[in-house]
Amino acid sequence: MDDTNQINEKDKKSQESTHKIGIYLWIWGLLFVLSFFSYMVDWYQFQGMLRWSLILFFMFAKAGLIMAFFMHLFWERYALVNVLLWPMTAIACFVFLMAAEFEYTLFSRMFYFFVGGGV
Amino acid sequence: MSDEYENKSGYQAQSSEALTGSAGSTPDMDYVRPAELPEQDLYHGHTFLTKWVFCQDAKVIGVQYFLTAVFTGIVGLILSWLMRLQLGFPGLAGFITAEHYYQFVTMHGMIMVVYFLTALFLGGFGNYLIPLMVGARDMVFPYVNMLSFWMFFVAVAVLMASFFVPGGPTGAGWTLYPPQTILEGTPGSGMGILLMLVSLALFVIGFTMGGLNYMITVLQARTRGMTLMRMPLTVWGIFTATVLAMLAFPALLVSAIMMTLDKVIGTSFFMPTILKAGEVLEYGGGSPILFQHLFWFFGHPEVYIVALPAFGIVSDLISVHARKNIFGYRMMVWAIVGIGALSFFVWAHHMYVSGMNPWFGFFFATTTLIIAVPTAMKVYNWILTLWRGNIRINTVMLWCLGFIVTFVNGGITGIFLGNVSVDVPLSDTYFVVAHFHMVMGIAPVMVIMGAVYHWFPLITGRLLNETLGKWHFWATFLGAYSIYFPMHYLGFIGVPRRYYEMYDSPYMTSAVGMNEFISLAAFLVGAAQFILIFNIIKTLKTGKPSPKNPWKANSLEWHTSTQPPEHGNFGERLPVVHRWPYDFSVPGAKDDFIPQTTPPSEVAHTKVEKT
Amino acid sequence: MSDPKIDGFELKPGFRGMASDTGSDQTMFKGVHWGKAMMWIFLLSDTFVFSCFLIAYMKGRGSTPVEWPNPSEVFALEAFGVPVPLLLIALMTFVLITSSGTMALAVKYGYEKNRKMCGWLVLATAIGGLTFVGMQAYEWSKLIHEGVRPWENPFGAAQFGSFFFMITGFHGTHVSIGVIFLFIYAYKVFAGHYENGGKRGWFTTMKGDYVEIEILGLYWHFVDLVWVFIFAFFYLW
Ligand code: HEM
Ligand SMILES: [Cu+2]
Repeated sequence: MDDTNQINEKDKKSQESTHKIGIYLWIWGLLFVLSFFSYMVDWYQFQGMLRWSLILFFMFAKAGLIMAFFMHLFWERYALVNVLLWPMTAIACFVFLMAAEFEYTLFSRMFYFFVGGGV
Repeated sequence: MSDEYENKSGYQAQSSEALTGSAGSTPDMDYVRPAELPEQDLYHGHTFLTKWVFCQDAKVIGVQYFLTAVFTGIVGLILSWLMRLQLGFPGLAGFITAEHYYQFVTMHGMIMVVYFLTALFLGGFGNYLIPLMVGARDMVFPYVNMLSFWMFFVAVAVLMASFFVPGGPTGAGWTLYPPQTILEGTPGSGMGILLMLVSLALFVIGFTMGGLNYMITVLQARTRGMTLMRMPLTVWGIFTATVLAMLAFPALLVSAIMMTLDKVIGTSFFMPTILKAGEVLEYGGGSPILFQHLFWFFGHPEVYIVALPAFGIVSDLISVHARKNIFGYRMMVWAIVGIGALSFFVWAHHMYVSGMNPWFGFFFATTTLIIAVPTAMKVYNWILTLWRGNIRINTVMLWCLGFIVTFVNGGITGIFLGNVSVDVPLSDTYFVVAHFHMVMGIAPVMVIMGAVYHWFPLITGRLLNETLGKWHFWATFLGAYSIYFPMHYLGFIGVPRRYYEMYDSPYMTSAVGMNEFISLAAFLVGAAQFILIFNIIKTLKTGKPSPKNPWKANSLEWHTSTQPPEHGNFGERLPVVHRWPYDFSVPGAKDDFIPQTTPPSEVAHTKVEKT
Repeated sequence: MSDPKIDGFELKPGFRGMASDTGSDQTMFKGVHWGKAMMWIFLLSDTFVFSCFLIAYMKGRGSTPVEWPNPSEVFALEAFGVPVPLLLIALMTFVLITSSGTMALAVKYGYEKNRKMCGWLVLATAIGGLTFVGMQAYEWSKLIHEGVRPWENPFGAAQFGSFFFMITGFHGTHVSIGVIFLFIYAYKVFAGHYENGGKRGWFTTMKGDYVEIEILGLYWHFVDLVWVFIFAFFYLW
């Protein structure tokens, strides 16, 4: 098999397809802006649901930008993207269930240690 | 041999016009598109050290994994003898104190699940078979693969070292539940548990290196014509199990790290406030149930890490030895994948009596019962594969049949246990012990045995003795059934698991005789395994040399340039694949098998499946 | 990188492409280097590690009846005499994102075979990472000075210190490993190991290629990604 030929072809191909520097600078800038906003959430001491939705929104926005552009997932083929994202459903399930679990643990601690178990 | 793999329009002959501009001409039925990647260069060792010790050939690494895992398995077997000695004849062996008993139970469980079965299936069979079966020269990262084995080796060494430290190995049960695991009073709560945790962490690291190799080899290094849906089910099983392991072991690693911190520097991740002899310990505020969640988030996928490779291998063995294509290949693949995916959503069925959020019982009972559906589909397909097959009752087939029987048995008890209301009284009794030994103990071991008899000629070039093999099978099968079947009954009458002795409790009366019987059967089954070892030694010395492809199988591992295959597996040219590996007894074909490398033009007149 | 061209195989876009890639022979991830695929899968596994840590943290923090310390006060830093909440953390975030940006550019210049630019950018990334580790060491020493320990702290629930040191420690270990490799790879780029067909590595027959910079970049961006989650859950919750 003629692999020198193949390597040369690869070189040409990759040179053609690098992305413009502008896109990286844009994403970079956006990340700073989003980080600044999420910092502001604490600065202004938003509380309750507003705080949580803002924190999560900025977090996922930043994570999404890093993965999509810095890690090139936006340009990868779906075969790879899907393999990477589907397993996250297991994590999501774990998170939701453990959120339910800590409520229950807290409830039982309060109930038995502080209220006295309804005696 | 290279001609064998050459087809009329091999890569060299393929001009680019033929690829694109074939509008008018008739398409060549044997066409397989050219290779995407250049050939893999291999590092050939020359010294003894680089050839046999720090070897980068996946086949040698596979054998290394196999032997190390079998060594741990023998240790686990001896421990089980000691346990049965105590249970069947309490007090007979005076040196088995309660502490020792707990240490034996713990080490037996952990060794068998992680260091024996997982390492054997993924490290042993995975390394040996994946590159051969997908038509690769080797794993994609041979050097990392070699490191993986040596990491495993160190993990085993650390684990074994824990037998010799002051206080002995941990005796907390293989589930290592805190808080008792690291509290004084539990056997091995000092060095023992620490070495166990370190060993597990090393195992996870080592496995990750191997697992990456198995996954990328399957995904990115298949030979020309080898689509995912043409892979033998063995590869599917091992591959899916590897995916599970890559995603489940992190939870084990995390819980091991957290418990190590609790133990060593006194954090309280898992440790609640504890009163001991009237005094409050330093610990406080932690959550033991968190450990159980983390452990079973690993633990349930782990049981399928053991089961899926067994499913895959047994499918291939049944198909080859019944000379029939596997019934519902695609269904089998999707069942493996589906079981794998679902296994991340059922973990808390091990925790019905743990005091978790009571609503979880509903969720996890539902998912648990759902996972039984693809499992049952697989069983039906094995049976339908056998149905009207040209079954050869040789040793390999016997092991396969033994597997089906024991697996069905264990699967049905699993459905019992999946229902909360049935599980609550049965949990922590011998019923559970019977369930998981049927399904995870003997069933996969049966497959391992079948696989050993099946692939031994490939690895060594000699056929194992059939008569000894049949003796080995019947002794193991009948013996194992005598051990575990009565345990269901013990569970029903309420005998709890992990008890050192029942003393004068009411269970005594009806359980004594049964426990003695079980113990005797256990000694017998353990001893029967030495028939295999004897058979292997005898065969290596004086055994019948095997012809090439003795079982007339289709998959690529039997169609290598030499048997046993050399480093690089396939000689000068990689094989080109045209079909799935299950073309047996095809009407119209001259042989009753059509190797995966046979081009369509050679079998144009037969009624061969389109794959 | 993107859009590989493959003889005899039509690369379809979107989900149809996914189906045909998956159904094809030889490779599932078309045009993806083995090492890059391996790094992705490793990162997936590592994601599960960090997820388990953070889930444990959520469970631990959520179920404690003892008051949890207020991060915005605990992590405040005096600047010009006034306590500014999370100042150090904001700076650390700034540094890490900066280094992620330089890494992204290093990958780009690597693929353009611009040895000098690529080398300098990898080096800049390494220095950014080193700064981050230094700032984290400062943060740890400050907290330890204030009496926060893995097993106790003066502000409230003992688990606060446990989870904080464990998770930031684990992340910091990742950063430190990354920094070591960044320095090694900066050297390799400058020394030209990826030029002219590449140099053979140690104990292997694989040749060097600029794709290794992309692989390293994936790891580094992942470290940044984890920090995004730690920042949200540890400092803002
Ligand atoms: C038909 C599907 C299955 C169902 C519905 C099922 C259900 C269950 C349930 C509910 C338990 C918990 C019992 C208790 O502790 O009270 C359990 C335990 C167990 N199962 Fe299964 N199971 C199934 C298949 C399997 C398979 C295929 C394996 C392994 C190859 C396996 C291995 C185990 C093990 C090792 C335990 C005991 C762990 C321990 O407590 O030490 N199960 N199973
Ligand atoms: Cu389970």
